Amino acid sequence: MVHDEAVADETGEAVGRVLGTADATPLQFWTAVAPGSYLQLDDVVVTRRELPDRGPVTIAGVVTQVRARHEGAQFDSDVFAIADGTLPALVQEAAEITTTRVDPELYVPPAPGAIVRRATGDLRAAALHFDRMEKRVPMGTGRDGLPAFLNADFLDGSRGAHVSISGISGVATKTSFATFLLYSVFRSGVLGGDAINAKALIFNVKGEDLLFLDHPNARLDDETTRRYAELGLPATPFPDVRVYAPPRANDSSGAPDVSSRLAGVDSFYWTLAEFCEARLLPYVFADADDERQQYTMVVHAVTAHLARHAQAADGGISIDGTRLGSYPDLVDFVVARLTDEETRGTWAGSAVNTGTVNAFARRLIASKKDLARLIRGDLAARRPHAINTAESAQVTVVDLHNLPDRAQRFVVGVTLKTEFERKEKAGSAKPLLFVVLDELNKYAPREGSSPIKEVLLDIAERGRSLGVILIGAQQTASEVERRIVTNSAIRVVGRLDPAEASRPEYGFLPPAQRQRVLLAKPGTMFVSQPDIPVPLCVEFPFPAWATRPSEAGPAPSATLRSIVQSADPFAVVGGRTEDEIPF
Amino acid sequence: MTRLFVDTWAASYGASFEGGDGPTSPSTAKVETDPEVPAGDWHPIVAPAGVHTPDLVLLVDGVQRVDGTLSTEEDDGTSFPGLAASYAAGVVRCDLARGAAELAGAQVARALFTASPSVGDVTAGQVRYAVHKVDGSGELSKLHASVQGPLTALEVEISGTARTDGDLLVVDGPLRGRRHLPRTIGYIKKQDKQYLPPALTLVVTALIPGQRSPIFKQGTAWGCWSWYLRLPGASGAPWSGIVRVECSPDLSIEQAVELANLSLVTLPRFASTSYKDPRAPQNLIPIAGLERRLRALLGDPRLLHRALTLAAVRL
Repeated sequence: MVHDEAVADETGEAVGRVLGTADATPLQFWTAVAPGSYLQLDDVVVTRRELPDRGPVTIAGVVTQVRARHEGAQFDSDVFAIADGTLPALVQEAAEITTTRVDPELYVPPAPGAIVRRATGDLRAAALHFDRMEKRVPMGTGRDGLPAFLNADFLDGSRGAHVSISGISGVATKTSFATFLLYSVFRSGVLGGDAINAKALIFNVKGEDLLFLDHPNARLDDETTRRYAELGLPATPFPDVRVYAPPRANDSSGAPDVSSRLAGVDSFYWTLAEFCEARLLPYVFADADDERQQYTMVVHAVTAHLARHAQAADGGISIDGTRLGSYPDLVDFVVARLTDEETRGTWAGSAVNTGTVNAFARRLIASKKDLARLIRGDLAARRPHAINTAESAQVTVVDLHNLPDRAQRFVVGVTLKTEFERKEKAGSAKPLLFVVLDELNKYAPREGSSPIKEVLLDIAERGRSLGVILIGAQQTASEVERRIVTNSAIRVVGRLDPAEASRPEYGFLPPAQRQRVLLAKPGTMFVSQPDIPVPLCVEFPFPAWATRPSEAGPAPSATLRSIVQSADPFAVVGGRTEDEIPF
Repeated sequence: MTRLFVDTWAASYGASFEGGDGPTSPSTAKVETDPEVPAGDWHPIVAPAGVHTPDLVLLVDGVQRVDGTLSTEEDDGTSFPGLAASYAAGVVRCDLARGAAELAGAQVARALFTASPSVGDVTAGQVRYAVHKVDGSGELSKLHASVQGPLTALEVEISGTARTDGDLLVVDGPLRGRRHLPRTIGYIKKQDKQYLPPALTLVVTALIPGQRSPIFKQGTAWGCWSWYLRLPGASGAPWSGIVRVECSPDLSIEQAVELANLSLVTLPRFASTSYKDPRAPQNLIPIAGLERRLRALLGDPRLLHRALTLAAVRL
């Protein structure tokens, strides 16, 4: 039906013509699909319009809706007469095209009747703005099986930063996509020389899924390898991973609490001296609504008192002549001092009444069970135990899944604060630090305020210039602090709950895509980036690294070394940097 | 007691059995009633076993529409009326084996019918109304009838296309100039003449769906083999759902019987239903669909009327 009457240099298969029965606008138009052709959702098409004095305008777009109907049928039951062969009717398919690019930028509607072609090669890249991306991160394949890219400028902080991933847990594969994106950033060469020093900090909140990033996936097949190759990526596990796990509860040796990964896991904890000196007490009270309570005054007074008076003493601390060897001891000591009329004034200030002190004491005592294994006074202070991405491997995985809620908040809050302060001191955006954090709605809820939320807000608003990139995932973006979501340049959506999909946080999805996210299958994500006016539907390949113990191939040799061996045996014990010769 | 029936046709289309004085008005045509069954032995006939619907049935029809009524002013001050009409004819190919009905061919033409000796073609926008000179005084009421001639010619022209072996061509209306086409029947949905003597007419009104009358021969100038059959979905009135089918008189009586039986198994499956079509069941489903398509091909009447108005002003 469609004849090649158009310009000869146009390439690509003609698939139809611009409809005249529906309004064609510069931003959206309908295409009648020619008999024998088809268009599916997400196909990229291009059409041209000759202007009298300005030369041709190329209008490119993606298919956002497709419909088919019987023309010539008046009644619903006519379909039987048509299928029976008695009523003449046409099956006519039409596709809604949402414009992604108009080149040159003359926003004229395409002419009804103009030939619409499937965009391939350079035309497709131009339609999706890939040609204007200086640095492109492959993020999967489009529905047409060709690679789709993310503009790295919006990921590395040059023009934007942060990724927000939403979707139902279990089906939306949020964490898998976050790790794939990291892998792609590190391995695609888009960061150039910076890739070597760029770091990632991943919090593992569910199962031991992320503890095997450095193990090859035993279920990796040729097909998956080929898909990685099409994206320009090797199909290998992460080469350089260090895994941290909390110490086992009630275990005086401080061995990491993991069950499936046996080698290459280091335990992390804070000594009592660090707890006091670095003023970590507020992170114990990290519930969302704590900031509104009266007792926060007490928290800050006690934190300051501990920082001022606690002396490191052989792993533990000593305050006012009393040696404390564990977190429960410290809690009991603080509570005793606060209940004592004589000492309360010096610990909490004079204007605090007993009710407030009791509220503080009640919460502090409740934290004993959860935090005892993380804040230690019984392990050697010189044993490496701190999470520090700068000195760690390229990818640092912090396992939280065994920890109770309060302890998870403490670890996330303290770790992020430490890392952010370290980057702040360094003062330069490079090397980049990617932070992957699931369940962002728990740490930065829309309502209330907490120390962790403050850290996350800081990262969202200032992290871009400091090189801290937040890759946050959550089931429901509507429950996450609005300023964090709006600061994310890249928004990713996997399968969504129907009620959630209708919320304004997903306004970047066109209506048809809002319906499609309800049925997105695992591995399919809708990615919105500032460059492209329509979110792209991408499928990312099956992970090349193990995502559970049963998939794990042979462990890499590097994991066999323990943290004790990895520490420099010749380093001066307890050496302080300011003692070094100043040149 | 007398029974009453409401005709299934919508009132605006008249009745399926009117025209003149209805089928009760005797035809002047000479009729032979004996070729298949002797007149004294007339009875309803059903199709013998083994007669099947052909896989391919072609149906031809045409539509016409008046786009504008014009009048001329001649140099001598007299005036002639004119009729700007669009008409189209098309073929539907019903591939019953494949379950697909499609438009196998369609032609659209436009003409200006007038008796004015001086007026030329009218070009209105991208369409052109070729002048079609009408003989005589050219009153407006006669101009309407003069559209039928070119339309029939167009129908005849398009009937010959898209034929394949083993198909059946159903022409909407009398065969007229298409008697030479093979395997072709004319389908007359409106009964306006009574060809048969009253005794035999009772056989026709007694038909039930799936039965036909014996074949009779009309001996007029357009003479042909002819028979009646009743379509399903009729109201029960004596003439409701009765259609007359004709075929070329050049065929032998055996060939005519064969076509009659073929029509008996084929046409009922195309019968329309009264809630969908105002002329059910006689207006066949493919014909109704074809007419809709053809009317769409005629173009938007408001657009054409406006174009004509503009063209007349510029002339």
